[in-house]
Amino acid sequence: MSSRGSLMFLLHAHLPYVNHPQDSSFLEENWFFEAVVETYVPIISALERLAAEGIRPGVAVSISPTLGAMLENEALEAKLQLYVESRLELLEKEVERAKNDPALLKIVRHYQDLYQEAAEIMHKYSGDLITPLKALQHAGQIEILTTAATHAVLPLLARPEAVRAQLAVAAEDYEDRFNRKPSGFWLPECAYEPRLNSYLKLSGFSYTFTESHAVELAASQAPNGVYSPYRTSNGVGLFARDAASSREVWSSKFGYPGDPAYREFYRDLGYDGDYEYIRPYLGSDGVRRPLGLKYHRITGPGADLSAKQYYDPDAAMARVEAHASDFLARRMKQTDDFYAARGTRPLIVSCYDAELFGHWWFEGPAFLETVIRKIRQERLPLQFVTPSEYLNSCQEPQELTPGISSWGENGYFDPWVNETNDFIYPAVYAATDKMIETANRFRNQDLSSLNARALNQAARETLLAQSSDWAFLLYIGSHSAYAKSRLEDHAANAIKLLGEVIEKRVDETALAELEQKNSVFPRLDFRVFASISKF
Amino acid sequence: MPELSKPLPAEDRLVLLPKNPGAFFIFWQFSASRAEAFRAGSFEPGIELRMSCVDDGAHSAVTRADWHTGRAYLPVPSPGRTYKAQLYAQRGGAWEKLLESNIKASPAAAGMAEDRAYASLEFHKKVLS
Repeated sequence: MSSRGSLMFLLHAHLPYVNHPQDSSFLEENWFFEAVVETYVPIISALERLAAEGIRPGVAVSISPTLGAMLENEALEAKLQLYVESRLELLEKEVERAKNDPALLKIVRHYQDLYQEAAEIMHKYSGDLITPLKALQHAGQIEILTTAATHAVLPLLARPEAVRAQLAVAAEDYEDRFNRKPSGFWLPECAYEPRLNSYLKLSGFSYTFTESHAVELAASQAPNGVYSPYRTSNGVGLFARDAASSREVWSSKFGYPGDPAYREFYRDLGYDGDYEYIRPYLGSDGVRRPLGLKYHRITGPGADLSAKQYYDPDAAMARVEAHASDFLARRMKQTDDFYAARGTRPLIVSCYDAELFGHWWFEGPAFLETVIRKIRQERLPLQFVTPSEYLNSCQEPQELTPGISSWGENGYFDPWVNETNDFIYPAVYAATDKMIETANRFRNQDLSSLNARALNQAARETLLAQSSDWAFLLYIGSHSAYAKSRLEDHAANAIKLLGEVIEKRVDETALAELEQKNSVFPRLDFRVFASISKF
Repeated sequence: MPELSKPLPAEDRLVLLPKNPGAFFIFWQFSASRAEAFRAGSFEPGIELRMSCVDDGAHSAVTRADWHTGRAYLPVPSPGRTYKAQLYAQRGGAWEKLLESNIKASPAAAGMAEDRAYASLEFHKKVLS
């Protein structure tokens, strides 16, 4: 059956760079371990299964440079292996504990499968999950994008040099990691302003994404709304996120993840288990925290945590099937309605944070796989397309200048600029301004190896200070002390290193420690921050 | 109100950032000599943040603040237009321009509805554990 419209799935995978090689166990590194086990491995496995069955997934995946660096970090891989082994050890004990409770045993076995799959995939790829993603892209199964170097909210970087550095470093990082130049750029937090067009073009990107109201706010009329791509005045392709398909997946009120059969996120063995029993699996501080073993289902709206019933993986999978069918039926109605009104076939662009598939919505990877499989098996008149494929095959998109916007709360920049986090910006700007000034001063000078290393590390620290994650964590009041200290440390490290270079007294021991800890962007050249950059 | 724990270099800086169609965030820092001039009383403690529209050059709004607060939120006179800010301080009865900000566009107001708030929920979920 010929296609009535196209569907584009973009999964944005990002975590802040968290690497503490001096500590055998560091709480915030668990973000990475949980995301690998619950999100990245299940998604990679689903994509590989589909590809092996001859069903081309055709999804776009943006992988932030900081996440990419963590996925390739051998020290983190070793810790991840220990994390998975420790969970498998605990699950062995849980099998024994649950042996007389079939319902509990069923979910324990389900978790055993999940962690075993993670162990097997990690072993298969020698701990490096970039390898299967690269292979899937190479085989034309998926398209991989990048995003800003450290996921900075670009409209909040006033200095052009800083914006250019975030994009140029990301492009170089992508090329090193995936052995090709990137085409697509995911704007961190979908945060757009028109001045970004020139920087996107300058760094060689051919398309990006905006939030749906960016199109509504466009300077000129967008006749097809979010249902077709556009291009900027300098030729960068633009895709706009479709609000309806996102809302169905993520709305806490109307979305699929709230189904009573799905796994409950908040109830966790880390809080339920006997303290002495689970103590070896908590952090070194012994504080109860989630262990990622969640045995209950949502059960019902407003149900008290203590009243939650055991999760049944089979019942959940039945709901996945139903939700995938519902999702596709709604997309077909969208395409039919649009075609009836406009006479052209629409493009529906659905963008999601990848970590929410699996980590938050436990059944999310299965939903994704089921949606893709159903289109093929049921010969539905929809086709999955990647951004480059669509741009290469569609008519010349209409020129558009979208409005300033983001996908954050209220649609602008409130989550990253408010009274809980605005105090950070003087530090971010002090480091950034000093970095630019010093890059300009030394960009044409012959430098000793030590001074060049110090300047390059200062550039890494400056980029890390600009990450959107610190402001966001402060805003939601989660890991606030960690976020504040990371932000301040990176800014202070940059300023200190730049001062040491100017005063010709670089502390090589301290520099080496920073190089080991904050080891992103190994090829970074500080000149990327110069006002007239070689980039 | 949270503050930085580590001191920053004393430098002159005035930065204007967009928050939403209704507000800009602005922060300022002074060089050591200027900060000393405020502390010594050479400048009056009350400063003025004068925002002007770059599109038409009109002075659009004035907000008063204490020099040592270092930051403020400025109402956007007309969403969707482009602005810059200037920081003025009073010495001997006369206003002097001390700092000028970057130029920044304000977002236009969209019909943001509750049905868009889901987007931000995604971030909350990501870091719950």
